[in-house]
Amino acid sequence: MPQASSISVLVVDDQLTMRALIRNALQQIGFKDIREAPDGEEALKQLLAKPANLVISDFNMPKMDGLALLRAVRSHPPIRQTAFVMLTGRADRELVQRAVQFGVNNYCVKPFTVQGLRDKIEQVFGQLT
Amino acid sequence: MDELEAIKVTFFQECEELLADLEGGLLAMQDGNDDGDTVNAVFRAVHSIKGGAGAFGLEPLVRFAHVFETLLDARRSNEIPGTPDLTALLLRASDVLADHVSAARGLGVVDMDASAAMAAELKAATDPNAAPVAAAAPAVVEAEPAFEPAPVVIGAANELLGDDALDDDDLGFDFQPMTITLDAQAADAAVIENVWTVSIRPKSDLYRKANETGLLLRELARLGPVQATLDDSALPALDLLDPEAAYVTWSVRVETDQGEDAIREVFEFVDGDCELEIVRGEAPVSDLLATLKDAAAPAPAPAPVFEAIVPSLEVAPEPAPAPAAVEASVIAAPAAAAPVVEATAAPAPAPVAAAPAPPPAAPSGAKPAQIDVPGPGQSVIRVDPERIDRLIDLVGELVINQAMLAQRVGEYGIAPSSNLAMGLDELEQLTREIQDSVMAIRAQPVKSVFQRMPRLVREVANMTGKQARLVMDGENTEVDKTVIERLSDPITHMLRNAIDHGLESPEERKAAGKNPEGVVRLAALHRSGRIVIEVSDDGKGINRERVHSIAVKKGLISPDLVLTDEEIDNLIFLPGFSTADKISDVSGRGVGMDVVKRSVQALGGRISIASRPGQGSTFTLSLPLTLAVLDGMVVDVAGETLVIPLACIVESLRPKSEEIRPLGPSGHVLAVRDSFVPLIDVGVTLNYRDRSPAATEGVVLLVEGEDGSRAALVADAIHGQRQVVIKSLEQNYQQVEGVAAATILGDGRVALILDVDAVINLRRREPPRPADPTLIAAE
Repeated sequence: MPQASSISVLVVDDQLTMRALIRNALQQIGFKDIREAPDGEEALKQLLAKPANLVISDFNMPKMDGLALLRAVRSHPPIRQTAFVMLTGRADRELVQRAVQFGVNNYCVKPFTVQGLRDKIEQVFGQLT
Repeated sequence: MDELEAIKVTFFQECEELLADLEGGLLAMQDGNDDGDTVNAVFRAVHSIKGGAGAFGLEPLVRFAHVFETLLDARRSNEIPGTPDLTALLLRASDVLADHVSAARGLGVVDMDASAAMAAELKAATDPNAAPVAAAAPAVVEAEPAFEPAPVVIGAANELLGDDALDDDDLGFDFQPMTITLDAQAADAAVIENVWTVSIRPKSDLYRKANETGLLLRELARLGPVQATLDDSALPALDLLDPEAAYVTWSVRVETDQGEDAIREVFEFVDGDCELEIVRGEAPVSDLLATLKDAAAPAPAPAPVFEAIVPSLEVAPEPAPAPAAVEASVIAAPAAAAPVVEATAAPAPAPVAAAPAPPPAAPSGAKPAQIDVPGPGQSVIRVDPERIDRLIDLVGELVINQAMLAQRVGEYGIAPSSNLAMGLDELEQLTREIQDSVMAIRAQPVKSVFQRMPRLVREVANMTGKQARLVMDGENTEVDKTVIERLSDPITHMLRNAIDHGLESPEERKAAGKNPEGVVRLAALHRSGRIVIEVSDDGKGINRERVHSIAVKKGLISPDLVLTDEEIDNLIFLPGFSTADKISDVSGRGVGMDVVKRSVQALGGRISIASRPGQGSTFTLSLPLTLAVLDGMVVDVAGETLVIPLACIVESLRPKSEEIRPLGPSGHVLAVRDSFVPLIDVGVTLNYRDRSPAATEGVVLLVEGEDGSRAALVADAIHGQRQVVIKSLEQNYQQVEGVAAATILGDGRVALILDVDAVINLRRREPPRPADPTLIAAE
């Protein structure tokens, strides 16, 4: 059972509010190493400089959207194993389908509960302690 | 503050930015930039507002944003065409959305009927084939969308309401979360620990200084195994080759345990002569992005790596969208570089103060500086404004202290070439730099005020039946926050005036051979240490004949006064002047340009108007960049030192006795050229002395009050012009009539700053007023 505190997370969203909300939820779950990026490009730069275990990313962002980020992460060997959870506005079937094609680990529908987010992460890493 | 409350505050601040982005995007669409990036940026703004509102359970806002978003989504996917009518509708909808945001933060209420009508209009526009809805009829209140926002959640900590609601993720296919272990990640990540990619882009200077890249590569090889790749794609044909230019770049993969510093050291001697990018791992981001873009061109196959890790994935039963389409949308994003999009991209562009004052809920207790780092290279620190105010106060003290020291040194007769005096000079320079830097912290682009104006113009134009387009310029001009807060009113007034009085009706404009749509221009710029705001229109200009006759009729000027065109134009600033034939809702109601002028002058500013018949008018407003310091004239009155704001002073005179005439039992007036102005002894007004000495012995300062009324102030001597730091008298003592504030002079003495208007008014109240209005009118 992995410890939440030992998992590093990169939160990618162009909205400061959403990043703060996700960070808040992650802290409640027990995550400690939480980083943020405002768009895909910045996220990729950060990941290459310092990999993270988990990326939680919004879809619609300027510069580089969540799908492009996912694709970039998967095509870059050193970070290709990063767990990737995509946030979607509503259960957007087409979007999730494309994300599946690109190797997304899980998706989460906004707005979400702390428990809901926890469940989605646990489906990827196993039960968190 | 509860953490979630704090996030909510952030959300509303962000909403301001998003609304501005929304409006900016819509205005760009109005100007014909109807491309996908702009529409997407507009969509994203509304979508983001909805997303945040959903998290906080702001239902009416979510509901309206949802209808709005649905229409934008339809536009985005080209289901409906972009038309000027649609853009106009979207602009009006953005106004309603802004109202919803304000209401959600407790500032005002939403006209729910209007909102429902707008929602109905948006819905009708989304689905043109649906039964037409009576758009303007508020009767269709229930026509609000059938959208049910999922219950809010992130809200109350751990209160897991309605998690079930999330089960409606009905995708139509079976989604299997992909599990992953940390060990697998770690093994993978370890690969890159000691691998570095170094991109070297030599500039021609590198070769000119007799350095050689070969040597650098050899040095790199000392750190560990290297693999160098030469990129000569920029190399031109031989006949085009400049032998002194640098064309080639290297990408070097280095395996070393010695770390980034060791690699950097290799390049120590070519620092500045070559562009260097050192990235841990295989390839730099730019390469990766380039690869992504290249790969996206035709119909690409998924990268092999990617196939390797997702072989177990169940492919959706539905036929996947054509890969080409997917790719296209993938690359569209990185290319999104339209200015509008850029604006959304920066998470918190304006540092300290972009956010409007936080809602009153913000506690005044402990105020830790809240620091958030959006990402490397663009970190922004949000600091409590009070901390900065305190800093500015302290710097003010420092300036005074430094001036005091300098004066003392001067008094002791120390030679200017001595070490002490020179040290002091340096101190003065430093002090000034500190003052400038500190003031810069509180400086803020005028954008925050400007961005409210497009809506105002729309509304005023609607109300007056005019067609107006607002063009803004210099939104990034910076000015002290204290000034910015007070810019809004005068600008609002000037814009209203420009549309209501300046612009003609569309019919009149057509008849005059102009475009029926009038242009109102709002611009900000810096000019000689002040900020200048210009509001101009291309309307009919001022009807001077009418202005003159109104001024005469209202007794503001005497009928035989001969005025220049410019002077006539500026009559509109006289109190009680209103040119509107009938009082309109927009401007008028007796609150005219005189109010604007007064509030501008209260800030130490000036306002004027220039007009060309048939071509339009331009209001020019200039303000000091800060309210923390003031340019003043230091004078002596009855042994006391006073400071008179320089902005009020017209000129200084030494009156001759024949220019002074008695008026009433105790008053005097002074003849200044062809008009008379009341003579006021400041010493008497402020009760420093009972009787004034003969004005001919002292100096007279001709001053102009906020309302344009003039007076001649008698002082004993003038010391000179000085910049002083304003200290509030009310905060430290109490309000004193006739005194605006206090300051501390270089010699450490306190000096009062005169409130010129109050002094003029004090004097007016006591002795009988002169009967002839020409005496106090603008000459």
